[in-house]
Amino acid sequence: MTELATMEFHPQPQPGEAKPWAFPAPERTALDNGLTVLRCHRPGQQVVAVEVLLDAPLDAEPAGLDGVATIMARAFSEGTDQHSAEEFAAELERAGATLDAHADHPGVRLSLEVPVSRLAKGLGLLADALRAPAFAPSEVERLVRNRLDEIPHELANPSRRAAKELSKELFPAASRMSRPRQGTEETVEKIDAAAVRAFYDRHVRPATATLVVVGDLTGTDLDALLGDTLGAWTGTPGEPRPVPPVTADDTGRVVIVDRPGAVQTQLLIGRVGPDRHDRVWPAQVLGTYCLGGTLTSRLDRVLREEKGYTYGVRSFGQVLRSAPDGTGAAMLAISGSVDTPNTGPALDDLWKVLRTVAAEGLTDAERDVAVQNLVGVAPLKYETAAAVASTLADQVEQHLPDDFQATLYRQLAATGTVEATAAVVNAFPVDRLVTVLVGDASQIKAPVEALGIGEVTVVPAE
Amino acid sequence: MPMGHTTTAEAGSGGLAATEHRLANGLRVVLSEDHLTPVAAVCLWYDVGSRHEVKGRTGLAHLFEHLMFQGSAQVKGNGHFELVQGAGGSLNGTTSFERTNYFETMPAHQLELALWLEADRMGSLLAALDEESMENQRDVVKNERRQRYDNVPYGTAFEKLTALSYPEGHPYHHTPIGSMADLDAATLEDARQFFRTYYAPNNAVLSVVGDIDPEQTLAWIEKYFGSIPSHDGKPAPRDGSLPEVIGEQKREVVVEEVPARALMAAYRLPHDGTRACDAADLALTILGGGESSRLYNRLVRRDRTAVAAGFGLLRLAGAPSMGWLDVKTSGDVEVPVIETAIDEELARFAEEGPTPEEMERAQAQLEREWLDRLGTVAGRADELCRYAVLFGDPQLALTAVQRVLEVTPEEVREVAAARLRPDNRAVLVYEPKSPEAAPDADVPEDPEQEATVEAGRDETENEETAK
Repeated sequence: MTELATMEFHPQPQPGEAKPWAFPAPERTALDNGLTVLRCHRPGQQVVAVEVLLDAPLDAEPAGLDGVATIMARAFSEGTDQHSAEEFAAELERAGATLDAHADHPGVRLSLEVPVSRLAKGLGLLADALRAPAFAPSEVERLVRNRLDEIPHELANPSRRAAKELSKELFPAASRMSRPRQGTEETVEKIDAAAVRAFYDRHVRPATATLVVVGDLTGTDLDALLGDTLGAWTGTPGEPRPVPPVTADDTGRVVIVDRPGAVQTQLLIGRVGPDRHDRVWPAQVLGTYCLGGTLTSRLDRVLREEKGYTYGVRSFGQVLRSAPDGTGAAMLAISGSVDTPNTGPALDDLWKVLRTVAAEGLTDAERDVAVQNLVGVAPLKYETAAAVASTLADQVEQHLPDDFQATLYRQLAATGTVEATAAVVNAFPVDRLVTVLVGDASQIKAPVEALGIGEVTVVPAE
Repeated sequence: MPMGHTTTAEAGSGGLAATEHRLANGLRVVLSEDHLTPVAAVCLWYDVGSRHEVKGRTGLAHLFEHLMFQGSAQVKGNGHFELVQGAGGSLNGTTSFERTNYFETMPAHQLELALWLEADRMGSLLAALDEESMENQRDVVKNERRQRYDNVPYGTAFEKLTALSYPEGHPYHHTPIGSMADLDAATLEDARQFFRTYYAPNNAVLSVVGDIDPEQTLAWIEKYFGSIPSHDGKPAPRDGSLPEVIGEQKREVVVEEVPARALMAAYRLPHDGTRACDAADLALTILGGGESSRLYNRLVRRDRTAVAAGFGLLRLAGAPSMGWLDVKTSGDVEVPVIETAIDEELARFAEEGPTPEEMERAQAQLEREWLDRLGTVAGRADELCRYAVLFGDPQLALTAVQRVLEVTPEEVREVAAARLRPDNRAVLVYEPKSPEAAPDADVPEDPEQEATVEAGRDETENEETAK
């Protein structure tokens, strides 16, 4: 059947000697106004990445005003005491810069990227946005309308619809985590400029904020630049807000979000588990990678490469919120899309994979490959300033030491197969998983019920 | 060792330099050293894309790309993925209209492995290719099509715009993902014939960028690729030339279950590699490239008739490029209101041209995008291959940003006046099926991304970092 090649073959080459690489260590200082600063020099990275973390978590939003943190984040780039909204956008672009901001459970994050040649200009605009945002009523009103226009589209997107349903299922109704991060129609329409201003006044101040700057800083007097820009930001002293505990109901069950006629079913199977403060984290990272980190992991080996049910299924752990005392939590989940007729068989195989891992454990070979990948890929993963800045900011946001990532790589290398197996089996117990399926209920409900993976309920998509 | 001429980059390329070489079998090689990080990127472009496909076999180039990851003479099954990932590398392959690319980014000390793997499949894929892989990957690709295009709102917009813009029978009339019927029809023999026709060293460019020893790297390349026989007989792709302007306004109205009305349009633009294409890039950036653009300011900020409005550019070398306008309406605003505003803005721009401030902003944005692209070894390797395959000269990658900065405001006005006209576009209107409609405020689609299909699903950011 096959045909012979005429080339000359050579044995698989052996690697050369690895060059040392370590996750960069930042330098930590503070400005007079209390702003914490982390900086990291990355030679050759001409586009500087700047991250700002504000202690304005979603649970601080006033009752009934879900989404006010999101609107505030977006409003930061809609004008200041120096520039109108249109002028501000133009000034950013003139500096070749981008500024993104979003609100999540731990707080509000702003991300600036700017060529180092225009860093002063970029930092100046960022400082203006934080120090003296205009929050003009007409701009806030436009952002609110814009946000309202987005909501129906999110409901039409299978993966976002699934995420919304899983949060609602997992967390108690009183918890902010049970509700959409960016608010609902009912809450967003109540937001106005006064509400945004009040949220800003209460929660945004340099004393509880952190700035991360990463890039090629050769010849840049960063202290002088920061003094002239973010140094002018003033605010009252403030204490970090206490972090509420995360609780979730992971009783095994299935919710089908009905989309009649859908050609695929979006799967999102999840529960809540340990975050990075837990000693199990490195083993959980390793085990989760072996389960579904890539195309050659257990799930895709069967669901994609053997059966062809999917373009790809992934398992992952994503920190929801961490606390200094280690009481935080991560979302542990499996996601992907499978074609409608094979939804039942695909879930059956998925559960079989989980049961097999629990019964037989991971192999040393797959543990080794996973460690080699997770640790070996670090230098390429952190080639850009933006990647380094983002991880440094995550560490601060999650109350972790600045050398967490560097230490994690050493811990991963020292984690064995048995520990990785135990961690992934504990992370994905077959009877404690909440399964959300966005798909055609008339096609998939009966086959899914037959699997016995939990009670099946059907809810409308809208 | 056979080696071709060696050149270094001209001044003004940001300190980057590339050397060029050619093996006796015709494989072109581009090397670029950068010792800042201990990583090396390998990128291999084959000069074959969906434009080479024939009627009844759309999607074959991409399906074939998947088969390239199913093993070769010395690499079993999924070994390509396993070995690269086990070496701490990352990899993928993608297919577009004009090329198919394969890439590995490796820790520098594992570079030789990536070269060995690429050579093995270039020379011996058919020793392993079988019916089982073919059937499996056919199902995977069909699920890729469902996931990315068929099961999402507006998912087939790019396919529809392409079909409207490039006439029936034109090599760019269909997109790389292909049709379900053609994916079903493809046979193992089609795949084998595709390999024999297009996968030859003299139809490829290999670039290696990063922390490398060029002499050693070339020696490895000669060792692993040097004995792969070249072969000719590749048919020239069908002629992609078209008149400069469409000459009429094409239009299609789609009534579908979408959350909002949308107005999209594809404008016929100059070929990639020309100064006029760079001018068009600047024009689209000024008109619709971000939150200080003319269309954003008019439709989203002032009129408040749209939630999102933007322009994207799909650069094409073998056919006219495409400028993709994407507007999602706000509330119950009707399409003609949007269309009138757009035509006013485009006509005014064609008349007056850009202001000096607009030129400065657009050039700053495009310059940063280039810095981003050239800021990673993988991005640089890909660009070097692109310019080598499409324009015969990889050095052009290192000076591309200078060329964008040299474009004058008058050139931008001229290309807008000549091309951004109602009689040079294909319009696609979405009307929601259900009455209660509201729009998508996602950022406008990126035509480059829509035109590219990949072997592997993107790895989720899951493992050892957050988010």
